[in-house]
Amino acid sequence: MPRLFYPKLAVSSIKRHSQVYGPYLAACTLMVTMFYLIMFLAAHSGLHSMQGSESLRQLLGFGAVVVGLFAVIFLFYTNSFLIRRRKRELGLYNILGMEKRHIARILSFETLFAAVFSMAAGLAAGVLLSKLILLVLLNLVAFPIPFGFEVPRLAVLTTLQLFSALFMVILASSLYQVRLAQPIDLLKAEAAGEWEPKARWLLALLGVFSLGAGYFLALAIEHPLDALVFFFVAVVLVMIGTYLLFTTGSIALLKLLRKNKRLYYRPRPFIAISGMLYRMKKNGVGLANICILSTMLLVTLSTTVSLFVGIEDVLRTRYPREIVIELDSYAAEAVEGIRRTTAGVLSRHGLAEQNLVEYRFLTFPVFKNGSKLLVEREAEAGLTGAYYNLYITPLEDYNRLVPEPVALGEDEVLLYSNRGSYEYDTVEILDRQFAVKEKLDSLPGSGLSRTQTFGSYYLVVPDMAVVESLRQHPAWSRGGPARTLYLTGFDLDTSSEQAVALFSELRAALPKEIGWVWAESRDEARAEFYVLYGGLFFLGIFLGTLFLLGTVLIIYYKQVTEGYEDRRRYVIMQQVGMSKQEVKRAIQGQVLSVFFLPLAAAGVHVVFSFRMITRLLILFNLTNTSLFVACTAATFAAFGLFYALVYRLTTRVYYRLAAA
Amino acid sequence: MYLLEVKNLRKVYTTRFGGAQVEALRSVSFTMEKGEFAAIMGESGAGKTTLLNILAALDRPTSGEVILNGRKLTDLKERELAAFRRSNLGFVFQDFNLLPTLSLKDNILLPLVLSGESYGEMERRLQPLAKRLGISGLLAKFPYEVSGGEQQRAAIARALITYPQLVLADEPTGALDSKASDSLLRLFTEINASGQTILMVTHSVKAASHAQRVLFIKDGEIFHQLYRGNLSVPEMYERIADTLTLLTTGGERHA
Repeated sequence: MPRLFYPKLAVSSIKRHSQVYGPYLAACTLMVTMFYLIMFLAAHSGLHSMQGSESLRQLLGFGAVVVGLFAVIFLFYTNSFLIRRRKRELGLYNILGMEKRHIARILSFETLFAAVFSMAAGLAAGVLLSKLILLVLLNLVAFPIPFGFEVPRLAVLTTLQLFSALFMVILASSLYQVRLAQPIDLLKAEAAGEWEPKARWLLALLGVFSLGAGYFLALAIEHPLDALVFFFVAVVLVMIGTYLLFTTGSIALLKLLRKNKRLYYRPRPFIAISGMLYRMKKNGVGLANICILSTMLLVTLSTTVSLFVGIEDVLRTRYPREIVIELDSYAAEAVEGIRRTTAGVLSRHGLAEQNLVEYRFLTFPVFKNGSKLLVEREAEAGLTGAYYNLYITPLEDYNRLVPEPVALGEDEVLLYSNRGSYEYDTVEILDRQFAVKEKLDSLPGSGLSRTQTFGSYYLVVPDMAVVESLRQHPAWSRGGPARTLYLTGFDLDTSSEQAVALFSELRAALPKEIGWVWAESRDEARAEFYVLYGGLFFLGIFLGTLFLLGTVLIIYYKQVTEGYEDRRRYVIMQQVGMSKQEVKRAIQGQVLSVFFLPLAAAGVHVVFSFRMITRLLILFNLTNTSLFVACTAATFAAFGLFYALVYRLTTRVYYRLAAA
Repeated sequence: MYLLEVKNLRKVYTTRFGGAQVEALRSVSFTMEKGEFAAIMGESGAGKTTLLNILAALDRPTSGEVILNGRKLTDLKERELAAFRRSNLGFVFQDFNLLPTLSLKDNILLPLVLSGESYGEMERRLQPLAKRLGISGLLAKFPYEVSGGEQQRAAIARALITYPQLVLADEPTGALDSKASDSLLRLFTEINASGQTILMVTHSVKAASHAQRVLFIKDGEIFHQLYRGNLSVPEMYERIADTLTLLTTGGERHA
């Protein structure tokens, strides 16, 4: 036997199966490239030196893990397609007298060639594209561009290690499948599984229940922190629901439709329902995969895009004024100290405060129980009700900030809630009953609140005496969470650089002996936000691309496999009296509904996830819901267009195979 | 008037990459009367399948014509062909060609569904037919759940349910064991006895020996034909076998 017999056989079989092998090689190469690129960024020396790069590198490291995991799952999945298509050929070799170890040798050579090709091509492409991807990333996070070109050893080595191991595992699983099988099974493998699927009502019901529970969680969660905790629970529930419904639910539904004889025994439903039943059994999992990948892609892209686009909104929410100073006391002399220092620094720069806001607050956490706001001790008896931060400020502070002063009678208050509305006309705090004179729609400077994570109630009380009486309430005799605060914030009419310079001067000059002082500046923080949100945006696009490629390839394989399998069905239909046009229309209807089902389901998932994700975005200080709506809609539209394009291209392949 | 007239059929295939032409049918002419049961015999490559495909309007001849019940098949437009096939022809294939996605019942009803019959009418036709073919108890089953003989019975039911002018059968016993073949051929004889015209293509002497008339095709031409007359099946078998020997060893034309 010639020495190169097996390698030649391997090469020729790769060539012969180019229709399925080509996309597989392309997928492997792309995975290698993507993984190298993200490793390259994570390991790039230029990123180490830059300020604020720590969070960025963490993000990229996380991205590398996701890409690696995805590559493993995805290449396994596509390889299983490949092996299924090839079983017939391998069975033939077996019957023609080749032993299993010879087949193993062919498969090993094939895998070797695929591995060498995809790693070489993937790394080459990765190295070529690395500078470009670096420029994109640095541009997004607003970092200066470094000179030079580099190929980090760590990135290359990790890529080679991961994919070598992966290809070995893939080979092992192919060999295992071939070893287990009898030649006759190998020959019949393609035709296997033609039995009618059973309707498993229990699983279908479980799917409905799981999906419903996931949706319910997504809709019912009010609090952003709960959203963070339950997000993954909801995701898992929805994923389980999606898998169950695509695999068993669809079949149960189609069987139900088939029972309706008047509906079923008409030309179009007849072909469609029977064909779909058959297809859903084989492709339920594939369609569920497409649906989940699409949903992941849509959620990842829409959130990261809105964070990036909304970065200025985020900054305005997180930093209601250019400079905010917080002091843990509202004692007159301490407040005066802050004012004096600020005025001094501002006059040295020749600037004046714009949009000045000042508040004196008494603040403590409360549990809302009807119109009663219970402090911690009162609530210990039975911890009921939602958690809120309560801020109490005197009327004089409020009136100084609004154009038209308000008057309050004794035991009257103004109430502002940063989330939802307060539903009662009275409010009871520490045994004192107040009448709510007015529920405010907004508060000047948003009360200088810098986080929207928690619900907060702001109470404007008639005078400082009321504030003091609450502060000295016996409930706090053993100490407690009540704090006094002085908050001041203002904008500056100047350049970002000067604002930052002024701020560091101010921070150094603030008196320390009067208490705990904290100061922050929007412009100083801007760079960090760009690194974080720009990095997230980059990762969103990067992973989005990855998910997109995955979706496209799964769709392609689905179409190719089905094209082969459906060919016989369509021949029979023509023979029993369907015209070519009718057959074509039947194919079209069926392909169309199967194809767009995952997209539609992904759309529904996104709609239901919407409320929960807006809550989550609050944790990132993005409260601009309309921006998120716009970003989601735009992402969905773009993805839908792309999906349709993929549909057109791959359907052509399908027709060529099915209608040959 | 004849039910089926085939005049000077010629079919030439051109290989895909230019040049070489293959003459599958040279000149085939024959006629069939209503109620006849005829078999076409010939070796592999003699042009049997091409002829059947043309009769089934699945393929068009290079020249010549096919007239079924006074209508020229060659004149029908592509659009009309499918409906014509559905209402005038019934098909029985070697490997049954049942759709695996449909139960036997739905497979049988497929042509009626495609022509838009009402469900009541479908049921009305299905029940007696299934009873006659002995598959009443199997209607809810799927093709993979029943034997080859039973699948072929379902395929015959599908061919008959439209009350076709002509049933075309392509090696109907080709995939069956001898017992199932026997009972299938008896079924064909019964169906024929009730007035159904059947044209069967086969290279099985046994299958052909059940027909009233056997046409032998060789090198794209009708080479010879045999009439049953009063012969019994075994006698007919012998005559066909003799003719085939003559055909393969070469001999004069008798048609």
